[in-house]
Amino acid sequence: MKKLLDNWLVQFLLFLCVLGLTAFITDAIGDVLPPYLLMIGLFIGINLIMALGLNLITGVTGQLSLGHAAFMSIGAYASAIATVNYHVPFLGGVLIGGLVACLFGIVIGFPTLRLTGDYLAIATLGFAEIVRVQFTNMKITNGAIGFLGIQGSTTFPIVMTIAVITLVLMVWLENSRNGRAMLAIREDEIASSAVGINTTLYKIQAFAIGAFCAGVGGALFAHTTTFIQPTDFGFMKSVDILSIVVLGGLGSIPGTIIGAIVLTAAPEILRPLANYRMMVYGVLLVIIMIFRPYGLLGGVNLRQAVRRAFMLTKKKQAGREE
Amino acid sequence: MFIKKSKALVVLSLIMSALILVSGCGASKPAETAPSGGESKEPIKIGFLGAKTGDVAIYGLNTLKGLNMAIEELNKEGVLGRKVQLVEEDNAGQKDQAINITNKLISQDKVVAIVGDPTTGITRVAGQIANSKNTVIMSAGSTGTNVVEIGPYVFRDTLLDTIAAPATMKYVIQDKGWKNVALITSKNNDYSVSLSKIFSDAIKSNGGNIVIEEFIQDKDTDFSGQITKIKSANPDVIVFSGYYTEGALIMKKAREVGIKAVMVGGDGLQGDDLMKIGGAAVEGSISYAGFSPEQPTPNTEKFINAFKAKYNNELPDLFAAQGYDALMIIAKAIKDSGSADPVKFKDTLAKTKNYDGVSGSITFQESREPIKSPVYLLEVKDGKFALLKKVPVEVK
Amino acid sequence: MPILNNLMQQLVNGLALGGIYALIALGYTMVYGIIGMINFAYGEIFMFGAYAGLVLALTNYVNVYTALLGATLITMILGVVIERVAYKPIRRSSRLSALISAIGVSIFLSSFMVRVKGPNTRGFPTLFENRIFEIGNFQITIYQIVIIGVAGLMMLGLHLFVTYTKMGRAMRACAQDKDAASLMGVNIDRVISVTFAIGSGLAGTAGVLAGIYFNAVQPYMGLLAGLKAFAAAVLGGIGSIPGAMIGGIVIGLTEILGITVNLSEYKDAFAFAILILVLLFKPSGIMGRKANKKV
Repeated sequence: MKKLLDNWLVQFLLFLCVLGLTAFITDAIGDVLPPYLLMIGLFIGINLIMALGLNLITGVTGQLSLGHAAFMSIGAYASAIATVNYHVPFLGGVLIGGLVACLFGIVIGFPTLRLTGDYLAIATLGFAEIVRVQFTNMKITNGAIGFLGIQGSTTFPIVMTIAVITLVLMVWLENSRNGRAMLAIREDEIASSAVGINTTLYKIQAFAIGAFCAGVGGALFAHTTTFIQPTDFGFMKSVDILSIVVLGGLGSIPGTIIGAIVLTAAPEILRPLANYRMMVYGVLLVIIMIFRPYGLLGGVNLRQAVRRAFMLTKKKQAGREE
Repeated sequence: MFIKKSKALVVLSLIMSALILVSGCGASKPAETAPSGGESKEPIKIGFLGAKTGDVAIYGLNTLKGLNMAIEELNKEGVLGRKVQLVEEDNAGQKDQAINITNKLISQDKVVAIVGDPTTGITRVAGQIANSKNTVIMSAGSTGTNVVEIGPYVFRDTLLDTIAAPATMKYVIQDKGWKNVALITSKNNDYSVSLSKIFSDAIKSNGGNIVIEEFIQDKDTDFSGQITKIKSANPDVIVFSGYYTEGALIMKKAREVGIKAVMVGGDGLQGDDLMKIGGAAVEGSISYAGFSPEQPTPNTEKFINAFKAKYNNELPDLFAAQGYDALMIIAKAIKDSGSADPVKFKDTLAKTKNYDGVSGSITFQESREPIKSPVYLLEVKDGKFALLKKVPVEVK
Repeated sequence: MPILNNLMQQLVNGLALGGIYALIALGYTMVYGIIGMINFAYGEIFMFGAYAGLVLALTNYVNVYTALLGATLITMILGVVIERVAYKPIRRSSRLSALISAIGVSIFLSSFMVRVKGPNTRGFPTLFENRIFEIGNFQITIYQIVIIGVAGLMMLGLHLFVTYTKMGRAMRACAQDKDAASLMGVNIDRVISVTFAIGSGLAGTAGVLAGIYFNAVQPYMGLLAGLKAFAAAVLGGIGSIPGAMIGGIVIGLTEILGITVNLSEYKDAFAFAILILVLLFKPSGIMGRKANKKV
């Protein structure tokens, strides 16, 4: 059984099955759920895609980025320009959004990723501000007035399918050679470079993939709201995505999923708390950092968790493995 | 480790529960407008879309005041023998929340019409949804472009910038003779950017010239660089298309360096904070509005008195008046068409002509774009907005 | 020569704006230099100081000195409390945790102020009469003189304090090596508390002065001002007190000169563009020393 699962062909077929199942189930759910709940589900999906990207950068590789909304906005505008001005089909537009954001991630990543820790955080924040000022002053984005007339093509099954693809790829990446190198960088950059890990390369890889996810999320966002303005992608949007990652657990994929669900649905469920939402956010960030520096589910790995649950039924084997 | 975890949990839950408790006390009660009577029919539900918290909360809250007055008045007699009920939700001025709320109002609460949002951006987003779900939406605040173009279910009852701004410029340039204009735009404010375009066209067509064009950003506080340049351009008048906060700060700085020209702007300057922050520096500033409590028509006077009685002697503002009108027009269309089905009453609504609203007379054109008359030109006098002139608008 | 007059006037404007940035940057750079963490909430302490000044100024009995002093005291206490509650428990954790915790404090403080005082911009009462001096063809106001003067004095005072007092020496010892300093009998907790108190006090003073100069106070004013001050501190060489002053003035001048050459739209991007460029090409800044990373 275990050997069979290790075969990549089997894994790939399994992956396709899961995708097909997701598309089928979400399509069925879409017919049953009222639009209101469906829309919340859709935003959970979009936030999850972006948060998974940031999780790779901040959670797995340990590089704090405060400019994730900038990549989101680049993806949103690029896809909107593609579908509206050049009549690219919707999914093509989403891909273009992701690719353009990824490109910017690499271009920005090369110089800035030489910086470490706090400096990188502030540099990404500065980059995000520059991007926003640029979008405010560009003709093609229609400046502050906003980009109008985007088709509302994003649907629940599409978002969920993309979210599942992202999820599977992230899990796969985390357990690959590259993922382990990234984790090593988070734990100790100097030590990992001493054992021969090309830290810059892996950091840029993480940045590029994270930016791609943000771009895809932004493209889906633009084709949901049908109208985007530079103010939609401010510092607070970056903080929103970061909160998902931090609350759920830095580097933990199940944590990110829970974070995305809780924080996206929270303002809807806790409407009376809306006035205090930001205050609660702030306090939560501090408390979590004090008691769980890696987030609530920090260090919990999806594959390991599933495997452990699976093994628990066969106590003896589990005992031998531990 | 175990102790640490439980400690964290205790602290966490304590803070959360404290915050929830505090916010629970502060939260307003849901609007229960329909009195418990013996009506057999279900009430007609109207949705409110707008911000009750966040940056633009003040517009939403004031619209809501007007709406609640309209509900009270309508429920004295009922509409088609049914009560009217308001379903209000707070979108905090954010698009994604507005989408969720619009969907909720339509699919879950089954409202027949939505009043809101006060801002153009969110009305565009919500308009798309409402139009595709055959629900009437009427914005009581949006003045920008690309709103009613969305489709036959989208309306608004506001004084459009395209009508008011040229009328204001005509007055400034031809009546006052201020020909040399300094135009200031707030570059990250969509309202300001689109209004500046209209202003700039109107200045040229009325024979004025723009001697200098400057840009600021909302939330800026330092304008010394721009003002120094404006001073050396020596304009007769400063036209600013943004909001009152920045307007007040710009004028403070302008007076400090000795610029004598007054400021002229759009309804974005309407806000008591203009005088609170600007003080003597904004004296003489001119702006337009779709509503003024001064020189009221009998209809408007009745509304003002009722409003003052209900809300602690407070005077209604633009948003309250337009919110009230929006609901009353919708109710009238429902009565006239004899149906609370938006598919039917939207056509009656679109034919509204010369409706005598509390914020002026309202006519929907073929395109459903409203024409409101008059344009109120207001001047800051002794720290208050005083009526300068009523400019009637002709319905073509 | 109207262009030259304008330029002189713009230089004065730039100096005054730079003075505000420098005032905030002084505290930023000191805290960073000694503790080695970015106090992201610093901008919000600045905002808190401005509001404290506003509240005090509205009580009629208060003149400008008491308002300044009161706001400074309040922010000093606030700074120490923040350090004790949010930073001290994670002093040994990763820098990432410390920064996220600081962001949490920053979000909390600004949204707290929105709840208490509302999101709108508030005007600032006139605490002392503004006067305008005409020098040649340009003017300088009392406010501008005060800001540039106070920034200069603060820089000098801080520099003397850090260089010549016993506490200052302890601070420098902590900046070099906390563990070694602790072994030499320096009370680390006390030094950090004093650092935070002084740094936050400076931010409070800057807040009141900014409130008077701009005549506006707003809950989110701290974020952008704090970031620009950070850019100033990095530009000057983080940890260097005269560097913060120079950095602040350079950024203020750049912004105003950008407006002069018709680039007002991009004003806010200048500080960050400078920040990124400095970080890339001379991370140690104008006055900073190059630090070797210890393994």
